[in-house]
Amino acid sequence: MGKFLNGKLSITGRILFVIAGLLLVACLFFPWWRLELIATIYPEGLRMEVFANKIGGKIDILNNLNHYIGMKEISEADFPELQFMVYIVGAIVAIAFLTAISGKVWLGSTAFVIAGAGGLLGLYDLWFWLRKYGTDLDPMAAIKIPPFVPPMMGQNQLANFTTYSSFQLGGYLLGAGIILMLIALWRFRRWEKPAVEQ
Amino acid sequence: MGNGNFKKIALSLAGLLLGLILAVVLSSQLSPKGEVSGTEGIFTGAIASKTGVPDDIVDAALKTYVPPGEHDEYYMFSSGGHSGHVFVYGVPSMRRIRTIPVFTPESAVGYGWTEESKEMLGEWRWGDAHHPGLSETNGEYDGRWLFINDNANSRVARIDLDSFTTGQILGTVPNIYGPHGAAFVTPNSEYYMMASRFAGPVPHGTYSPIENFSEDYKCILAAIAIDPEDGEMSNPWQVLLPPWSYDLSDAGKLGSDGWAFLTSYNTEEAYTLLEVNASQRERDYIVAVNWRMMEQAWKDGKYTVIDGANVIDPLDVPGAIYLIPCAKSPHGVDVTPDGKYIVGNGKLAPITTVFSFEKFMECVENNDFQGEEAGFPIVNYEKVRVAEVEVGLGPLHTQFDNTGHAYTTLFVESAIAKWSLDTFEVVDKIPVHYCPGHLVAAEGDTVSPDGKYLISLNKLAKDKFLPVGPSHPESMQLIDLTTPKMKILYDNPVDPEPHFAQMIKADKITKNVFKIYPKDESQPGAVYTKEDARTEKNGNQVTVYMNSFRSRYYPDIVEVDEGDEITWYVTNTDFDEDITHGFGICLYDLNIEVQPGQTTSMKFVADKPGVYPFYCTNFCSALHQEMQGFLLVKPKS
Repeated sequence: MGKFLNGKLSITGRILFVIAGLLLVACLFFPWWRLELIATIYPEGLRMEVFANKIGGKIDILNNLNHYIGMKEISEADFPELQFMVYIVGAIVAIAFLTAISGKVWLGSTAFVIAGAGGLLGLYDLWFWLRKYGTDLDPMAAIKIPPFVPPMMGQNQLANFTTYSSFQLGGYLLGAGIILMLIALWRFRRWEKPAVEQ
Repeated sequence: MGNGNFKKIALSLAGLLLGLILAVVLSSQLSPKGEVSGTEGIFTGAIASKTGVPDDIVDAALKTYVPPGEHDEYYMFSSGGHSGHVFVYGVPSMRRIRTIPVFTPESAVGYGWTEESKEMLGEWRWGDAHHPGLSETNGEYDGRWLFINDNANSRVARIDLDSFTTGQILGTVPNIYGPHGAAFVTPNSEYYMMASRFAGPVPHGTYSPIENFSEDYKCILAAIAIDPEDGEMSNPWQVLLPPWSYDLSDAGKLGSDGWAFLTSYNTEEAYTLLEVNASQRERDYIVAVNWRMMEQAWKDGKYTVIDGANVIDPLDVPGAIYLIPCAKSPHGVDVTPDGKYIVGNGKLAPITTVFSFEKFMECVENNDFQGEEAGFPIVNYEKVRVAEVEVGLGPLHTQFDNTGHAYTTLFVESAIAKWSLDTFEVVDKIPVHYCPGHLVAAEGDTVSPDGKYLISLNKLAKDKFLPVGPSHPESMQLIDLTTPKMKILYDNPVDPEPHFAQMIKADKITKNVFKIYPKDESQPGAVYTKEDARTEKNGNQVTVYMNSFRSRYYPDIVEVDEGDEITWYVTNTDFDEDITHGFGICLYDLNIEVQPGQTTSMKFVADKPGVYPFYCTNFCSALHQEMQGFLLVKPKS
């Protein structure tokens, strides 16, 4: 393990880290995840798109419709993670670029671990909110429905709405960045002269 | 580095890419796009036939049928006559899409109840909408505004075509009685001219015995100027005219731009039993007005102010008005798309007379006049007249197509004549049902008409529709212009009174139409959150800032004291297409409409004590019935 962490990346590995960093930068500009609702009277669809730092789409209309079933209002202010997600990704990018410059595997591993753990946490976070919004329904609501958890990916039926949830370009870019880091750490270390630095 | 490395990268990336593609494909499978396979295709290219139905009926059905979910090709804006409204139809389906209240209150949309519309309508309870005119740029419809005149109360209105609502009413315009002959807009929407149909003493309210008709009774030409930026109308100048009853007008185009042409039907100056007494002369006049010269005279200060209007005496501006003799009590006057000819529709003579603008200008330049009346030179009829087209009985109005043809309605004959602008001969005629007044062709009064569709606006329908009592609907008939012979495709009953209409390619308007009013915090009275909704009381002045969204009002209990003066703002915070709310107060004679995102207001005095329920009048949601509240008016004692 120590030997692994003290190792250095090959030129290719370092280039992969640059690319990974760039992918992570790019992912900030695209939605990570989307929920789309289709109904007969909304053939054009009502979308909610989650970005690293904001929630886009027709949130006002969704909130207005959701109040009938007693769902809490979705508001950016209720998601503290939207405030700092960009900084975490920024930090990972910085470490990834430092890794590319120095070639140090331990730095690269740090970036990967933060990113990987962050990604898993993010998935949990998404599930957590989906569950919270779907089950924490106001008992006074005009229309009473059994609690539900919308899927992270896939289709669901809710009254007259069919919902489609899916990961989006930003999410894929993020995932690709993390995987690139993994590939670099896994296959592109420098095997010659491992002990010279020490 | 080397082949090994390259291979590794390539393999890893390929794996990654494959994963990505799989993910994208999977998620797109899950998302709904592509599932919306419509019914389109069913009608394309299919040959419809039904046993026993003649081919021409099948053909007409296919030409007018617009399948569910599809849109019409043209908008048609039709005057609602003495209903005071403008009706919007889709062509070729002839479906009525919208009623736009203009000169008359319309409770369905709160027009005449909201503060803004009450202010526009003023004291008037009805109006007589006559001739809609679309704004133009370079002689083409530009889809920005529609103008229309009120023949009864001397008003003009602008309808904004981004929202299909009345944006401005100008008037009562001083000095003018019955401004029938508007709105025929100049090629770059500088002006439209409207002249008095009825002569009368000026200003309004002046008394003069009827025997003084020729001396004291004046007709007025009012120039309505249009602000090129926002369409704001004003009446910068007027021109005094002899008491000849001006009927219709048109603006010159291309070469004849800068001139306005007005028909007159009472050069006899009769003031009683006009049916007879105004029909004595074989020819009345088309009055040609050089509006650029008049505009200059106004700028030079050559006017006197009468009742706030700057009135020019045309005798002070020699060379600005000429008379063209035209048979007989002419009704419509229409300038051809190339601007070269002026067509006078004879009404009491079975001809339309075609005048050459070029020859007219030659007469003007060479002083080739056959006389003078009321101080205006009369141009040499034999010289300016190009043709007297024998169209038939009772010619009223003419429109044009894209192949050099003119179409003239024949009221008495109940027909439309198609005639050539080249040979000036009638080439086709079609009976219509019955008694057509105006007609409208697709972009038929622009510099480049489309042809394709012609609509006959008929004054009588008789037995064409299911009987509805002694009063029959008026009727419109859609006529196919794509075939060598004109053919009626569709009959449509309409409310009174289709005086004139405009037909414009739909995409010129659809690109400008907005669907939701934008949030504007600076708007007076707007409240966008329920937390901001409130009732404020200051002495006997009460202001309600109400927030409405599916299916609630905030506040929904409003308590005031008898005699309080109430200003009630309602904001619709459903920023969602077609989610309009109404707001009606029972037994208080109040109802307004709030479109998505809009804030409107009304003012009233709570002069009746008691409890008055209010509710949403515009069906909005499954819980629309619950969208209600109470106005409590505490008695004084």
